[in-house]
Amino acid sequence: MTVRSWLSLYALLIRTSIKSRMQYKFNFILASFLAALIQISEFLMVAIVLYKFGAIQGWSMHEIGYLFAVMTLSKTLYRTLADEVHHLERYLVNGELDQLLTRPMPVLLALMPQKFRIMLGEVLQGGFLLWWSLHGMMAAGQVGWSAVPQSLYIIVTGAVILFSIGLATATFGFWTTRITELQNLTEDAARTAAQYPLTLYPKWMSSILLIVVPVGLVNYVPSLYILRGELGAWVLPALAGAALLCLILSLKFWQFGLTKYQSTGS
Amino acid sequence: MLYFTLASKAYARNLQYRGAHMVHNVASAMFGFMYACIWLGLGADYALGDYGTQGMVGYIAFTQAALWVSSFVTNGLGIPQAVRTGHISLDLMRPVHLFSHLMAKEWGQIAYQFVYKSIPIYLVYYVAFSLQLPGKAVTFLYVAIALAGAAYLSICINYLIGASALWTTESSWLYWGNHAMINLLAGFFIPIEWLPGWLQTIAWWSPYPYLLYVPTRIYLGFDDVSHLWGTLSWCVLLTLASLLATGFLRRKVEVQGG
Repeated sequence: MTVRSWLSLYALLIRTSIKSRMQYKFNFILASFLAALIQISEFLMVAIVLYKFGAIQGWSMHEIGYLFAVMTLSKTLYRTLADEVHHLERYLVNGELDQLLTRPMPVLLALMPQKFRIMLGEVLQGGFLLWWSLHGMMAAGQVGWSAVPQSLYIIVTGAVILFSIGLATATFGFWTTRITELQNLTEDAARTAAQYPLTLYPKWMSSILLIVVPVGLVNYVPSLYILRGELGAWVLPALAGAALLCLILSLKFWQFGLTKYQSTGS
Repeated sequence: MLYFTLASKAYARNLQYRGAHMVHNVASAMFGFMYACIWLGLGADYALGDYGTQGMVGYIAFTQAALWVSSFVTNGLGIPQAVRTGHISLDLMRPVHLFSHLMAKEWGQIAYQFVYKSIPIYLVYYVAFSLQLPGKAVTFLYVAIALAGAAYLSICINYLIGASALWTTESSWLYWGNHAMINLLAGFFIPIEWLPGWLQTIAWWSPYPYLLYVPTRIYLGFDDVSHLWGTLSWCVLLTLASLLATGFLRRKVEVQGG
C-alpha cells in the first residue's frame, strides 16, 4: 500500500471514531466541559504565581505565557492524533491489543485513530495565550512578525517530541503491563516542569529534561532563540533533526517492544 | 467488626503491590521536588510571605505527602467499574449500605497509603530539605484530626463522583476535574491566601481547603485549629449528600454488563 492510501485509511478511521462519539452527546459535552476546566485550572496555577511575583528567574509574564502556550498546543496536537498511545495500558490489560494485531496494517496505525479526541478547549486556550504573549512582546518590540511562523513550527516539532516520549513510555508497557506510574514521571511531571524556565532546577534535573526526557526541546530551547535571541538561528533546523531522531528511536523501540508482547487478556 | 474486616482486607490486598508502590513513590517524590525547586527559585528573588523559602518547601513537602490521604483515593470508590461490569446490582443487594460498605474498604486503602506512601515520601523530603518537625505534641493530634477529616471528605466526594457513573460513562472526567480543583483550590501548590480575591472566596465556599490547606497550616504551626469546625461541617454536609445520592442511585440502576 502507498503512503496515500494509508493516509486516506487513517482519515476514514478518524471520521468513524468521531461519529461513534457523537452518539453519546451528553457524555461528549460533559467530557469537553471538564477537560476545559482542568486546562484552565492548570493555567491558573502558573498565572497566579506570575500575578503574585511578576517574573520568574528573569522571564517576564509574556515569556512564561509563551512557554505554557507552546507546551499546551504541542501536547494538544499530539493527543488529538494519538491519544490512544497514552492509553495503551488499557489495551494491554484487557487484551484488546490482540484484536489490533490481527489487522492487516501496522499496529500503531490501527491504534492511533481508535479514539480521535476533539480538544477544542485546549486549542482555544493555547491559541489565545499564544496570541496574548506574542502580542505583548511585539508591542514591546521584543519580537517581530517572524516569531509567528517560528512558533507554529516549534509547536509541530514539539508535538513530534512529545509523541516520541509518549510512545517510548507506552512501549515499556510490553514488559511491565502497567505504565501509569511511568507516564506520571515522563509525561506529566516532565511537562509540568517545562512550563517554567529550566534554570529554576538544579543542573542534573535540567539535563534530564533536555536529554533523557527532552521536554525542554519543546518550548524552552526554541524560546531562548525566538524570544531572547540567544543561541542562534541553527536552533530551528537542529530542533527538526532532534525531533526526527526522537521519533526514529521511539519507533524502533516500539517495534522491538511489540515483539516482546505477551497477551494478558481473557 | 464487618467494617473492620473490609478495611483490613483492602489494606492487605495493597500489601501485595508494595514493590511497585515504592517505585511509584520515587515518581511522586520527584513531582514534589520539582514544585519545591520552583519555590526555591522564587524564594531567591522574592520574600515568600509568612512562610519564607524554607517554610514554603516544608509546605510543599507536607501537601505532597498528604495528597495520598486526602486526594488519591480510588476513582469513584470503584463504582464506575462496578457499573460497567454490572456488579453494582450485587453490591446494592448486600445487607450493608453501599456507602458504608465502600467507605470501609476505602479506609483500608487510605490507611495503607498513609503508611506506605505518605510517610516514606515525607521522610525523603525531611532528609533532602532538612525539614523540622512540629515542636508541640498537641499539634500532631490536631493534624491527625484534620487529616482524618480530609480523608473522610475525599471519600464522600469520590462516592458522589462514583454515583454519577449511573448517569454518564464519562465519570472519570469528574475524577480528573476533582483533581484539578484540588490542585487549584486546596492549596496544593499555592497557599490559598495568595490566590486572587475572587478565587479565595470560591475556595472557602468549597470543601477543598479542608483537604490540604488546613492540615498543612496546622502542621506548620500556624494557629488555624478553629478551621477544624469547617472540616466537621463539611463532613456532615457531604454525608447527607452521599446518603441522598444513594437514594437516587437505587432507582436509577440498570444492569449493562454480562
